[in-house]
Amino acid sequence: MMDSKLQAGHQDSQSKSPAESGPAYWLSLEELEAHPGMAERYENEFMASPLSADDNGFARRDFLKVMGASLALATSACVRRPAATIIPYAKAPKEITPGEANFYTSSWFDGYEGAGLLVKTLEGRPIKLEGNPQHPINLGALSARAHAEVLSLYDPDRLRGPRRNLVNKDRSNSESVSTKFEEADAAILEVLKKGGVALVTGSKPSPSVRAIIGDFSRAFGVRWVEYDALSLESVREGQRLSYGRAVLPRYRFDLAQFVVSIDADFLGTLISPVEFTKQWSKRRTPGADMSRLVCFESTMSLTGMNADDRVRIRPSRQLDVAFALLNRLARKGATMPAGLAESAKAFSAAEGEAGLDPMFLDRVADELWKKRGTSLVLAGGLATATAQQLELQVVVNALNSVLGNDGKTVDHDSAVFQTYSGSAKSLATLIQDVAAGKVKTLIIDDLDLMTLLPKDSGFAEAIKKLENLIYTGNRNDATGRLSNWVLPVGSSLETWGDLELQSGIYSIQQPTIMPMYDTRSLGELLLAWTKAGSASARVKASETWLDYVKATWSQEIQSKTDLGRGKAFNDFWIELLQTGVAMSGGRRERTSSARAFVGRVSVKPAPNRAVMELVLHANSQMMDGRYANVPWLQELPDPVSKVVWDNYLAVSPAWAREQGVKQGDVIEITSGDFKMRAPAWIQPGLHDAVCTMAVGYGRKGLGKVAEDSGFDAYQAAMFNAGQPIFSGRLVELKKTKERYELVSTQIHHVMENRPLSLETTKAAFEKDQGSGIHRHHVFTIWPEHQYTKHKWAMTVDLNSCTGCSACVVACSSENNVQVVGKRYVMEGREMHWIRIDRYYKGDMASPDTVFQPVMCQHCENAPCETVCPVLATVHNDEGLNDMAYNRCVGTRYCANNCPYKVRRFNWFNYVKKRAEPLHMAYNPDVTVRTRGVMEKCTFCVQRIRRATNVAKDEKRPLRDGEIKTACQETCPADAIVFGDLNNKESRVAKLFAEKRAYTLLEELNNQPRVRYLTRVRHAERVDEKHGHGGGHAAGRAEDRQDQTTCAFEGGLV
Amino acid sequence: MSEASMNMASEVARKPLILGNKTYKDISDDICEPVEAAPGKRWLALLLSAKGLFLFYLIHIAIVVSTGMGLLGVNSPIAWGTMIITFVFWIGIGHAGTLISAILFLFRQKWRTSVARSAEAMTVFAVMTAGIFPLIHTGRPWLDFWLLPYPNQRGPLWVNFRSPLLWDVFAVSTYATVSSVFWYVGLVPDFATLRDRAKTKIRRLIYGALSMGWRGSARDWAHYEMVYLILAGLSTPLVLSVHTIVSFDFAVSQLPGWHTTIFPPYFVAGAIFSGFGMVVTLLTLVRIGFPKFKDYITIDHMEVMNKIIMATGLMVGYAYGSEFFIAWYSGNPYEQYAFINRAFGPYAWSYWIMVTCNVIIPQLFWVKKFRRSIPVMFVVSIFVNIGMWFERFVITVTSLHRDFLPSSWGMYEWSWFDTAILSGSFGMFLTIFMLYLKFVPAISIAEVKPVLYVGRQRPGGH
Repeated sequence: MMDSKLQAGHQDSQSKSPAESGPAYWLSLEELEAHPGMAERYENEFMASPLSADDNGFARRDFLKVMGASLALATSACVRRPAATIIPYAKAPKEITPGEANFYTSSWFDGYEGAGLLVKTLEGRPIKLEGNPQHPINLGALSARAHAEVLSLYDPDRLRGPRRNLVNKDRSNSESVSTKFEEADAAILEVLKKGGVALVTGSKPSPSVRAIIGDFSRAFGVRWVEYDALSLESVREGQRLSYGRAVLPRYRFDLAQFVVSIDADFLGTLISPVEFTKQWSKRRTPGADMSRLVCFESTMSLTGMNADDRVRIRPSRQLDVAFALLNRLARKGATMPAGLAESAKAFSAAEGEAGLDPMFLDRVADELWKKRGTSLVLAGGLATATAQQLELQVVVNALNSVLGNDGKTVDHDSAVFQTYSGSAKSLATLIQDVAAGKVKTLIIDDLDLMTLLPKDSGFAEAIKKLENLIYTGNRNDATGRLSNWVLPVGSSLETWGDLELQSGIYSIQQPTIMPMYDTRSLGELLLAWTKAGSASARVKASETWLDYVKATWSQEIQSKTDLGRGKAFNDFWIELLQTGVAMSGGRRERTSSARAFVGRVSVKPAPNRAVMELVLHANSQMMDGRYANVPWLQELPDPVSKVVWDNYLAVSPAWAREQGVKQGDVIEITSGDFKMRAPAWIQPGLHDAVCTMAVGYGRKGLGKVAEDSGFDAYQAAMFNAGQPIFSGRLVELKKTKERYELVSTQIHHVMENRPLSLETTKAAFEKDQGSGIHRHHVFTIWPEHQYTKHKWAMTVDLNSCTGCSACVVACSSENNVQVVGKRYVMEGREMHWIRIDRYYKGDMASPDTVFQPVMCQHCENAPCETVCPVLATVHNDEGLNDMAYNRCVGTRYCANNCPYKVRRFNWFNYVKKRAEPLHMAYNPDVTVRTRGVMEKCTFCVQRIRRATNVAKDEKRPLRDGEIKTACQETCPADAIVFGDLNNKESRVAKLFAEKRAYTLLEELNNQPRVRYLTRVRHAERVDEKHGHGGGHAAGRAEDRQDQTTCAFEGGLV
Repeated sequence: MSEASMNMASEVARKPLILGNKTYKDISDDICEPVEAAPGKRWLALLLSAKGLFLFYLIHIAIVVSTGMGLLGVNSPIAWGTMIITFVFWIGIGHAGTLISAILFLFRQKWRTSVARSAEAMTVFAVMTAGIFPLIHTGRPWLDFWLLPYPNQRGPLWVNFRSPLLWDVFAVSTYATVSSVFWYVGLVPDFATLRDRAKTKIRRLIYGALSMGWRGSARDWAHYEMVYLILAGLSTPLVLSVHTIVSFDFAVSQLPGWHTTIFPPYFVAGAIFSGFGMVVTLLTLVRIGFPKFKDYITIDHMEVMNKIIMATGLMVGYAYGSEFFIAWYSGNPYEQYAFINRAFGPYAWSYWIMVTCNVIIPQLFWVKKFRRSIPVMFVVSIFVNIGMWFERFVITVTSLHRDFLPSSWGMYEWSWFDTAILSGSFGMFLTIFMLYLKFVPAISIAEVKPVLYVGRQRPGGH
């Protein structure tokens, strides 16, 4: 019917022009004669429509339309609408297509760790950070903190313009007025011209910033001091003492077959954890060549949790461990360095008292000796910042030297770190000078020194002598409040910059948004000021900060890089902006020659004391607390304890039992006249005479999020005249009657002998790749789903996953996952779509740890799908378990029936509660979920759709690896692989077929689309009692006991 | 008693069902009295306090609906809490009414006549109270109608017939409909009695309308008896099916502690158990409130119900034991853990409250003296009510709080709103029940009259 009509119409239109000749076929005489009005008639489907215009030419529907419109006009004419302006993209930048993301290369550096970035921007607004795959340091991965920069940009609590604080003589006034940069400039220039100026910054590995600071210093005679709140000066200084040149070496975990770490948390916080994790995980591929890690630790760190063998020690025994190894190596034929011989003898004599297991040390030394040249011993980080921090570094350097690791696994020359250049010693001298009145004006760049410096530094008293204190911070925090001027520097996503994180690795920092507020980066600020002084040629030639950055690149950097050599600067610059990074090639792969060890130490073993030692440490989500006001990081469960929104005083289970301390009891820490209080957290794996606490929390004045989260542990540190002591302080702990609520996302810490996160040993794995897995016979009587297009699946390699939790934040950023706050996490309402389960095994005094990232398993036989009464969660034809938010009524039956407990419910209207302008960080590709609906991991379905559409547009099959989920993309360990099982060549299909692959809770026959690959522990003692039957029975008694020692429930609920 | 012994010679002695040598008129007078007399102070006080609680309930429901389910203690992993627990509790309560009015009717248990009306009323009100919960426990209650398979324009997007929650929608709505119709049909002759006795016009009009033109003719009675029989027949399977389907909400899932085949019979037995508990609670109160009713709702009636409580209590106790046995026998470690955790885990207190109230305390009824003692049975029935609420708490919360992955274990975060919702639902129930006592004959006049002479000599001999 329709067809013939359409054809008729078609014919008609053809027949119009040759009206004279008439159509070849005709329906009626009128048509044949091309009667006027015929064409119009054919247009209408119904010959006699009741709607058509009749004689008066006014159809019924037209009448209704006109009537409706006039009614609407009549009624709305009286409504005064709020004035709103819609500005069209009349002059749209040509690269912007609304709805299409643009990616810009940039760099991120938080004072400690740096990374190359790809900034995802939509309509000119950065919404997500991704790692730049071309950047050799992070290779596409990012840490949790790097992701946080985007939320930090939209932080509602940061300053929106410069402020002048009306400080009085002793700087106790807190009045503050807003001002303009022009005003500030004028006033500050006057001050600068008077001289006596000092500048304190954090480490500045940026060539342009270093250059402008140089110009600025020369212009006004400014003294520049760098200081890192989480100092690694001891490593640089230890290198100088051992080899004559201060350097921050690059440890080569990609070359190390055997790593011994003495309190060096290189997977979590030390120097460049993302890079180290990348390298380390590569060497962890199960097989003959697999590396091995032994940790001697006084904290329970992420690295220790990933160790094949971990020994808990007190910080005062770090030297004992190093010397014990050195003595053993010497007995095996290594040359004992002359400068160490005497001390080594003393330690050898006292070894019995150190409480270390000599047999174990023998084995470690054997292995080191066997793998000399491919082993690595390292120490560093806050936990090693004891009074003997330098001696420890020297002995560790000696170990690497006698083992022939120097120059091989310890790169001291070709691509060493340019970060951590701060010097507490110089700062100590500066503070002295300030106190002596030698400094009139102090400029502090974005370092809240009032918080970050221990009380005994004398900083608080010294600054009262200053005439002017200028602070370039984004908040009126503890230091800001004391300053005359607070000049906000904004976010690194708003300004130009660059980084040389390792020598010869240069990356560019592009702004991706106009500065949101009236802010100026340090470079801009100094450039403006320097122009008024005796400026260098470069400063004079630079109208803007960008000009200055470009000049620095063209004059200093271009010629050093492969990308820039022999090119016009403009070509180089354009290419640089595209790649984001330029380097002089091969530096990172090169090994260098061994240096002559010249270190000397004279140190005696510490006496055995029955006193608690306090260890302060950093954790990977908070570091010095710079990002403490970013809710993502506060709500990110600590990789070790799974505690959110707080730090705590960690104590060992045995100590807690002995003292009757429960989780959350407030403990008073005393040491001399120092006193502070913190809640206790019972942490398996700690030495019984050690308590630990993370810094970076309890920071005041950062904003609403950071306020009331945790306790300031910096005050327990000692500055010790330029040698900061964070570890080994002797303290007394006393339980008080107070209680404090610590909230953890995981309140049960053992697997109850269930086959969940599976592991095996290297030996067992070599015999049988499927060892450690108990397979179940499952069958179904129903026909299985058929997939003709794609069949999405994911694998998670438990052997590479370190539990660093970067994926959790990446997922939150990509999928608009809401933060709910401490109280609601306590009530079990956290919203994370992916979580890292962490279980302890074995003896609670010194347990083994396993991790397991769990996201929606996208089951074939999904238990959630059958129980939803309204079909809000359904299986799609590519095997995804879809969630239709707008169909969801919220019965929550699906969550009950999900054995993996990955479904998250919107208990409240979280979207509405998000403070502006944080909503600007939302990913518009992902719906925000309203109150009362269920949500969960979608396998980043928006990325799948985008990639499949692109492939379809380009008329080609989808390539394997083209789709990366947000968690996979950011994973520093490359533990997550996503792909299409229908493509037999895909990585995921191959991993699915591996013998090491298993599904979680296989016996339920849900057939998850996520498979885990067993962890292979490079140690002997893993029990093989996994699986069913006898294993359960045998393991039970012992595990019950663990459970009682690990009964954390009492403290939390 | 003396009359009964006189009869002994000729037939097996039956105890009279109605005491006090009533005549037919006495019956009408006695039963209509609470409806016709001016409301007493005690009744008024009770009504007002129940209504206060009801209002309190409504306010809290409004707050929860407008703010979010997060106000209650539900969380991940315990996504169902007080609302579902109390829903199952009230649905269970309803079962005694249907059992008494339908099944005992079919079995010609004449003693049921005195208690059937109130038990049925309790059923209807309990189902009303219960019915609120599935509606308000959802995240978006304003979209609850999506659970109904009505014709719409959403194409293939309809309800999911595989979901036990949908079965629940049908089961509960059917149950609510049938039991209300059944109750109302039984009321028709009594409404007619009230109409005929009415002294004011309004009263006559209202009861006249309610009695639907009942004339008491033989035809009326014939139709009435037939309808009543048919409805009893319809209701009977519902006694079994409703709670069976409610139990499917749990049994059909994968969760250790829920996924058990014993649930349907166990839930039905539990429902009858709790229902009789509530009937005993209410009728002891009715007896106190309306002393004349003691002649109709006699100690013998109460004793029979107490026997049923004891029997069903034993069945429930058997189910508790059986669950443990099966958990052990199955060799399923998750199931085993779930049950060990129930009895010895952090929620052990709730488990032992349940066992004490439901299994141990009803054992008192082995002793005849206790079975026939009003204070004892009142206290026991209260314990049964408490125990049965806890049974649902144990099933829902302790199974959910520790399931497969220990990493996700948690605790229920009981909040003020849980307390408000739970206690408020009693406000709703009691308000309706108090109104019922005032406006509806609480004992079936029409059904009591035929059993007046059971165990008694008819006037004028046979």
